[in-house]
Amino acid sequence: MNPILIRQIKNAIVSITTTVMACAAALGLVLLALRLAGYPPLGILHRWIIGSVGRMYYISNSLAETCPLLLTGLAAGIAFRCGVLNIGAQGQFLVGAMVATGLATRWRIVSAPWAVMMLAVFGGILAGGLWAALASLLDRRRGVPIVLSTILLNFIALYAVQTILDGPLQAHGTSAPQSPEVQGAFWLPVLIKFSSLHIGIIFAFALAILMYVVNRQTPFGFQTLVSGLNPRAAKRAGIPVESRQFMTMFLSGCFAGLGGAFQVLGVTHFMTADFGNYGYAGIAVALLGRLNPIGIAFSALFFGLLDTGALRVEESSLGLPHNIANVVKGVVVLVMLLLIAFMQRRRLASIVSDSGGTSRGAGNLPESAAVSNETATTLPAPLDSPGPSAKGAD
Amino acid sequence: MNGSAENIVTFLAQQMVAAAVPLVIAGMGELVAELAGVINIGIEGLMLIGCIAAYVGAGGGNGSVGLAAGVLAGMGMAAIFAFVSISGRADQIVCGAAINIFALGASGTVWTVYRHWRGSHDMSVSLPHGAGFDKWPLPYLAHLPFFGRVIFDQYSLFYGGVLLGFAVWFMLRFTRMGLIIRSLGESPEACQAAGIRVRTWRWGAVLFAGGCAGAAGAYLSIMRTHAFASDMTGGQGFVVLALVIFGRWSLAGLTVGCLFFGLINAIQQVLQTARYTAHNPLIESLRHIPFQLFQMLPYLAALVALAVLSRNRPGPQALGQPWPPVSPGE
Repeated sequence: MNPILIRQIKNAIVSITTTVMACAAALGLVLLALRLAGYPPLGILHRWIIGSVGRMYYISNSLAETCPLLLTGLAAGIAFRCGVLNIGAQGQFLVGAMVATGLATRWRIVSAPWAVMMLAVFGGILAGGLWAALASLLDRRRGVPIVLSTILLNFIALYAVQTILDGPLQAHGTSAPQSPEVQGAFWLPVLIKFSSLHIGIIFAFALAILMYVVNRQTPFGFQTLVSGLNPRAAKRAGIPVESRQFMTMFLSGCFAGLGGAFQVLGVTHFMTADFGNYGYAGIAVALLGRLNPIGIAFSALFFGLLDTGALRVEESSLGLPHNIANVVKGVVVLVMLLLIAFMQRRRLASIVSDSGGTSRGAGNLPESAAVSNETATTLPAPLDSPGPSAKGAD
Repeated sequence: MNGSAENIVTFLAQQMVAAAVPLVIAGMGELVAELAGVINIGIEGLMLIGCIAAYVGAGGGNGSVGLAAGVLAGMGMAAIFAFVSISGRADQIVCGAAINIFALGASGTVWTVYRHWRGSHDMSVSLPHGAGFDKWPLPYLAHLPFFGRVIFDQYSLFYGGVLLGFAVWFMLRFTRMGLIIRSLGESPEACQAAGIRVRTWRWGAVLFAGGCAGAAGAYLSIMRTHAFASDMTGGQGFVVLALVIFGRWSLAGLTVGCLFFGLINAIQQVLQTARYTAHNPLIESLRHIPFQLFQMLPYLAALVALAVLSRNRPGPQALGQPWPPVSPGE
């Protein structure tokens, strides 16, 4: 069999094992902490599992919750992969949702239901993309770091959306910042009756697969990867790094905006000032999926199950809030980062010994690790796989 | 509020300082960490953890215990961050984002559990009488005309913050320690060559930042208000990040930025109420502006300021890079 393929399969197995281990370890740690605080961990775990997959209704809700997480996860994933630190999925998500709400309620310019729906979705996509492009523009023209501008733009988006929900887009007869409800005709079709599982989830998963193919099989995917790994080398090789980063940022915003539009048209059907933390959660989703679209799909599913199950934990008489899901999410990512770091050291040690260099143990001293890093960069390993190899960033 | 111009100015100045205190304190820590080459976007989470820890700690009736709990909790979270991002050499941005999510969940969970434990189902549990800090007007000085109200009638952490600020300034500028910290961010290789333990020093800087953020959180929950609300930092930690850059990684610049931010916040608060009570036609005309736009103002101002100013100095060269460096092919 093709040795490259074998190595890729080996790497995939390693990544999947790491991720599953991280999830299990994180859940275990949180349950242990709860045990120490005097809560019954098995009872909580039982409720959590029942609440996420126990009934068809719960399963479909979990999947519905997966949809926005998957899209914001993809948004963060493609940006990070290209080295663009887009922390602003939250703002892009909100802006997308707001524009979609507007186009489906008060600012309808077409009449056919399918046209309204399409227009709302595309409006959301475009709004999210433009909001992200603004940050990219500030970076290129004025040198404002994207990490910061996106954070600030999140808050600006939050208050801008609230202003609009309190003004031109406010529902009649209310004083709260709340939009009118989207008419039933313009809702996204539901896959399972009486649940909130809408057709958007299919598009979300399809987009994940599409992005996977784009990443691996197209020049665009390769160029964005190289731009992220080493912008200077990419520039030398003739890749238009800045334009790739701009396009990635725009695309990233589009995904987040689509997530917002789907959430309004498919699940909530109206918008209030409090519209979830999906954008921030997307960063964690992306990392847990190792920035690989397929991995992101699974980690979004995991987070969706966590969120939906936690609602059931909250309903119980234990007095735990559903916020506990966020604790698990944070711990998962931290454990995951540690595991990746640990694996990197082991892999490094094995690469060095394979290539005939001085073999060193996993517990390197800082100095020797620096030396072996130098060795690792000069190895031909990354060159022999044409597409993005299954290294850490894929 | 009575309408005389002098009173409004004094009030604004006092509010400005009070709003700037947590930003400056958290910002000092973040500044030291960033100078040492570590960017911690989890500072929002550290502050939030400081809030809830101080609040729960003060629940026994002693505010000092609360303050200590806030500082320790901030340092504890910072230790997790340091372990993953410095010892484990993971990406600092992602690690900080994880800290934020974790802190949001953990503070909310602890808050619910605590309320449950105290037997209250209300959205708020008030601190026991005397457990929160009140303002501490300095004797004699507080009676000075303008400055008495503005800077000698503040919470104790304000005075502590001022002292700490001078200490940090002196440390960064005149001591060996300060030189080492600044070199860590510019050239860890050089530090390594000079026999300085890069990761140990960075650990120290991050722990200091965590303690500062925890203290800033404590200020919010047991000094300025005597309450906790979920997500009560409301993005102030993120603002701190922006202000450190806005101040071009200098303590003076940071302080000016924080005061500016505090001022906009104070004006925003005053305008929100004044536009309904004042008799000045100019202020009355503001009535038609939605209040959310005022809330947006500080963030917008920060962004505009960054866009106008940020080109001049790039900041620590090695900011955000793990040590020893992780090569891209790894």
